[in-house]
Amino acid sequence: MKKLTLIGAAMLALSAGLASAQDKLTLQLKWVTQAQFAGYYVAKDKGFYKEAGLDVTIKAGGPDINPAQVIAGGGADVIVDWMPSALATREKGVPMVNIAQVFKRSGMELTCRKDSGVKTPQDFKGRTLGVWFYGNEYPFLSWMDKLGYKTSGEGNSVKVLKQGFNVDPLLQKQADCISTMTYNEYWQLIESGMKPDQLLVFKYEDQGVATLEDGLYAMEKSISDPKMADKLARFLKASLKGWDYAIKHQEEAVKIVLDNDASGAQTKGHQTTQMLEIAKLVEGGKLGYLEPAAYERTVKTLLTGKSDPVITKKPEGAWTHKLWEAAQK
Amino acid sequence: MAAGLIAPVGGNGWLGNAAALACAVTSIVCAALGLLRWGAVLERASTLLGALVGAAAPPILLDAPGPFGTAAPGIWLFLAGWVLILWRALSTLSRLPQRGAGALAAPGVFGIALLYLWQVLVVGFAVPQVLLPTPTQVGHVLATRLDILWPDFQQTFLKAVLSGYAIGCIAGFWVAVVADRVPFLGRGLLPLSGLVSAVPIVGIAPILVMWFGFDWQSKAAVVVVVTFFPMLVNTLAGLAAADAMQRDLMHSYAASYIQTLMKLRLPAALPFVFNALKINSTLALIAAIVAEFFGSPILGLGFRISAEVARLNVDVVWAVIAIAALAGSMFYGTIAVVERACTFWHPSYRA
Repeated sequence: MKKLTLIGAAMLALSAGLASAQDKLTLQLKWVTQAQFAGYYVAKDKGFYKEAGLDVTIKAGGPDINPAQVIAGGGADVIVDWMPSALATREKGVPMVNIAQVFKRSGMELTCRKDSGVKTPQDFKGRTLGVWFYGNEYPFLSWMDKLGYKTSGEGNSVKVLKQGFNVDPLLQKQADCISTMTYNEYWQLIESGMKPDQLLVFKYEDQGVATLEDGLYAMEKSISDPKMADKLARFLKASLKGWDYAIKHQEEAVKIVLDNDASGAQTKGHQTTQMLEIAKLVEGGKLGYLEPAAYERTVKTLLTGKSDPVITKKPEGAWTHKLWEAAQK
Repeated sequence: MAAGLIAPVGGNGWLGNAAALACAVTSIVCAALGLLRWGAVLERASTLLGALVGAAAPPILLDAPGPFGTAAPGIWLFLAGWVLILWRALSTLSRLPQRGAGALAAPGVFGIALLYLWQVLVVGFAVPQVLLPTPTQVGHVLATRLDILWPDFQQTFLKAVLSGYAIGCIAGFWVAVVADRVPFLGRGLLPLSGLVSAVPIVGIAPILVMWFGFDWQSKAAVVVVVTFFPMLVNTLAGLAAADAMQRDLMHSYAASYIQTLMKLRLPAALPFVFNALKINSTLALIAAIVAEFFGSPILGLGFRISAEVARLNVDVVWAVIAIAALAGSMFYGTIAVVERACTFWHPSYRA
């Protein structure tokens, strides 16, 4: 009798454990594990996701991983992506929707060697400029179009290189200017021995061609499904809590990011600088709120392409505040 | 073969589409006629006609709106029957004399049939374009985007592949001749070259981009590294091909080393050399395309694949694949033709 009671109790406990199983969710990041995604790692490690009843798998990105493709193929429920790439993919027929805009400001810039002779964007003619592709080329192509430079085909006025994910082309003088992020590649240049007075930086924000960067995107059918929408709202609430914590406790956030870095490639110094720069892009205004004016600015930049516009028509229903508002409760 | 005449079942409005119905019935009649033994030509003609006319029916049906896929089993049953008729047609075609146009008939029809099935299945099951585009979409890209595809082809194939291939093969050949002459060099070089060739392309490509810059020169360098070793190994094997009796004969004629090399050993090595040339032709193209993933100007077949796949323009990717496959096969074919002309004396051709 005792044995039976014991077994019965054990089974009850097991089933209770199973019943309170957390909701699973997969997040696909835009790049490798680094302070750029500190908010999500902090939310995971500090238990914010667990509190919200979520079991979140964070998939790191990398070269050859396009988050928009991952969500189109069903490999993730929510992704971190840049708006130009998301809007272009939406136009291709993949119905992804912005549910939060984490980065308020753009960190993209073009860094040139002062000794190449480039002083202003008008000097770009005939120069070799580098940009990553895989979805990051859209802001660059918009800017070149705005300046009136042809980037490909007959009679191109600037030579464009598909740069790899390192800063060697600038160090080896294979390119006059390369694309860098304020929080990553620029510091790689400094760390490899270049001095700030040897470099000339053109920030996309200053040039008036900035587009919105890191935001959270989900598929339309996830948002219209009540169960999934609820999961995403809880995820958003916990993630924004994580971001808030990361900005206020940067040293701890850096430690959490380094702990989660499976490759071991990141260093404390680089990540500390990165966390500082990322905080500058995130803070201000309502955390995670997509300002419609900023969205319109990005759409306008992408539409005004003379020869090769990134998108050909104004997107409809590309963003929603529904989940952000649910996350505020 | 009687089973090939499966009658259409259900489907999505057979009777509502007169043209499709006419095609279907005609094809069944023709196929049936093909079964009667009226002589080879008539049999061949009527089965082929049956297959051709039958092929027209599904696309006409699929043109109409409405979900197909599993909701229209009739079309798939008809298609299954059609495949059997096609099989019959192919076997009659393969009985043609294997010369000139006759040799191409069966493979040609088979190829076209595969493309046709690809088109019908993708349209029928509404496969999303980002997973698998239809042959017509790929063909459309090939027809309209030649303005970017032709410079890509020039950059990759004409510049990087051909120059890298030439340098790699010539270098491999001459190192093999030297290694044959100086045995201790051979013993040292062979394992070393084996080591170099075992380094994966994804490892050496970024390094060579750093050394030779972003343009086609670094891709040619990758091709050189990749084609060197097969050429070296095959030439060494070829130089050992002339057997002892033949070499003794040359010795008895008081032939010098150079004379023996030029008159006996190199001609005997030709089949092996061509073997390596054929292997290298496809390897070179693959190496150049992969190397372009690691840094290139915004030009080139490899660049086009990586950039367009990230933009989800999968039809452009398939168009580039088609160009690369065509270029590779034609390169291989050209070398095979030259081989035929140079080594016609070899037993493999005399048989």
